[in-house]
Amino acid sequence: MKLLEYEAKGVFSDYGIPIPKGFVIREPEEITAHLQEVGDAVVLKAEVDVGGRGKAGGVLMVDSASAVEKARELFSREIRGVPVREILVEERLEIEHEYYLSIAIDRSSKQPVVLFGDTGGVEIERAAKEEESAIRRALVSPLLREVPAFLMRELLAGAPADIAPVINNLYRIFQEKDAMLAEINPLVTTPAGVYAADAKLIIDDNALARQGIEVNRDLSEREREAERHGFSYVELDGTIGVIGNGAGLTMSTIDLIDYYRGRAANFLDVGGGADQERVMHAVRLVASLPSVKVILVNLLGGITRCDEVARGIITAGVDVPVIVRMAGTNEEQGRRLLAEHGYRMVDSMEAAVRVALEVGE
Amino acid sequence: MIYGDRNLGVIVQNITGRQGRFHTELMNAYAREVGWRGIVAGVAPGKAGMEVDGVPVYNTVKDALAEHDATASVIFVPAPAAGDAIMEAAYAGIELAVVITEHIPVHDTMKAIAYAKLHDCTVIGPNCPGLLSPGECKLGIMPAHLATRGEVGVVSRSGTLTYEVVDELSRAGIGQSTVVGIGGDPVIGQTFVDALARFEEDPHTKAVVVIGEVGGNLEEEGVRSTDLPVVAYIAGVSAPPEKRMGHAGAIIEGGEGDARSKVRRLSEVGVPVAARPSEIPGLVLELL
Repeated sequence: MKLLEYEAKGVFSDYGIPIPKGFVIREPEEITAHLQEVGDAVVLKAEVDVGGRGKAGGVLMVDSASAVEKARELFSREIRGVPVREILVEERLEIEHEYYLSIAIDRSSKQPVVLFGDTGGVEIERAAKEEESAIRRALVSPLLREVPAFLMRELLAGAPADIAPVINNLYRIFQEKDAMLAEINPLVTTPAGVYAADAKLIIDDNALARQGIEVNRDLSEREREAERHGFSYVELDGTIGVIGNGAGLTMSTIDLIDYYRGRAANFLDVGGGADQERVMHAVRLVASLPSVKVILVNLLGGITRCDEVARGIITAGVDVPVIVRMAGTNEEQGRRLLAEHGYRMVDSMEAAVRVALEVGE
Repeated sequence: MIYGDRNLGVIVQNITGRQGRFHTELMNAYAREVGWRGIVAGVAPGKAGMEVDGVPVYNTVKDALAEHDATASVIFVPAPAAGDAIMEAAYAGIELAVVITEHIPVHDTMKAIAYAKLHDCTVIGPNCPGLLSPGECKLGIMPAHLATRGEVGVVSRSGTLTYEVVDELSRAGIGQSTVVGIGGDPVIGQTFVDALARFEEDPHTKAVVVIGEVGGNLEEEGVRSTDLPVVAYIAGVSAPPEKRMGHAGAIIEGGEGDARSKVRRLSEVGVPVAARPSEIPGLVLELL
């Protein structure tokens, strides 16, 4: 789950990474009470989870006299379609230089990778493309609690030495907060020292519970409902509802629909050992999507009991047609049950997709 | 076959859990069918002295290995304790840990894999269906009845999609040397590179089917590292960016790891890429 900038900055501050003075407002008038804390030159930042926020007009440089008025203006705007509910008000830093710093997971070497660049800010992607050495990489063993000094020297090269503690503190955050990505772009030097001018922190969805995060805000309401049933669920923009077991098979089913020029309405992986109740919930959830014209169920595996699946589909009792492909234990019983209730069972995945496309027309 | 044969002695960690118990029975049924040694012991803290499907249960991996000759473990331990279970196995001398558990925090996985490496323990998974060498052994949850013995290796990030492909291969008369699911998480012990290196050393494997999906670039890295003939299939060509497609590792991030560019890069290095699972057997037959 992605944290908002001010939440990430709160974490950074707890770990001793200097952040600009600032506060969060939910109403424009709230600015006045705290304005003296940040001084005359102020930055207003819309706290919305979208990329390219600055270019989309989500960051405003203002002076204290016009701050309330500009904040009101920002609250009334949408940044790439996302309404602004919170604004981070910050002091404007006297920036000497911008650097890039991030820590991510390197899948290939199976360990954290620290990335440091002498050019930061919005130019980072262009700089990285033009010159490969613009960003230096250091792989750090997950068994270590800090970046070894020799790797630190390689990362910093000529950059100021007071960046080293920022890197180590960010590395501690990365490990202790179960981060998938921790990024400071830009990391800036000012006459008063080093600051994290921006902050990005993505927490591992599999570690939310132990991080004390109860609700995954990245999920829509329907996605959360799916999660409560133990499903993996993604909404797409087509008309064919898809239910599968296993992420790969479900993805493959959607691809096959795409191959035959259809469009899937969703991705729903019911997970292992689909029983009657889970199948029923899955079918009802997908049927509740207004765009769905037909539901395609594709279940495969040794432990899936086809009679249970059939009962789940029958008890769901939805109005949209359901096309079923399943293979596993008690296949014949499942087929008979479905046939008795007027549902169609198809033998192969490919044939099932074609039938679903015909029915959905 | 790779990773082990019918002489492999195996333990199951969390053998008393629902999954552990159920799959111990299935693995032992397979052992009897093909003459493999099978599951020789189980581990469940506080349950020493019990039996599951005739298999004795111990409190720790160390206790189990003191009484039984085993070098591999299949781990069904719940996510919060699974990283620790991998390290326990490695420390006690297990050489091959197959981790079925899903939803392990990625930092636990990274630490456990690094620690296992210090103890020369190979980790397959997590979030994987395990491995099956038809006629030899089965470590994990793959349905054995779909597989047939032969000369084609299968390595995959998926579970059920692998069964689909194995079924297609078997129906086309193409047997398998070993089918290994390396797992759907962003960090996994054995990557395509590692599994393909094993297949390359195996005299029984003549070609390999690589089944990948969106996220990362490990498929390409693997295919580039091997001299074996390879057929690939990539799931998720229609997956939207920045959405996790069921597997923790199946996500297109920062414009990277999408299936279409994977397919393009694999094709560029001369690997036939199937557009549908049903095309895989035909492409394999062309290579053999």
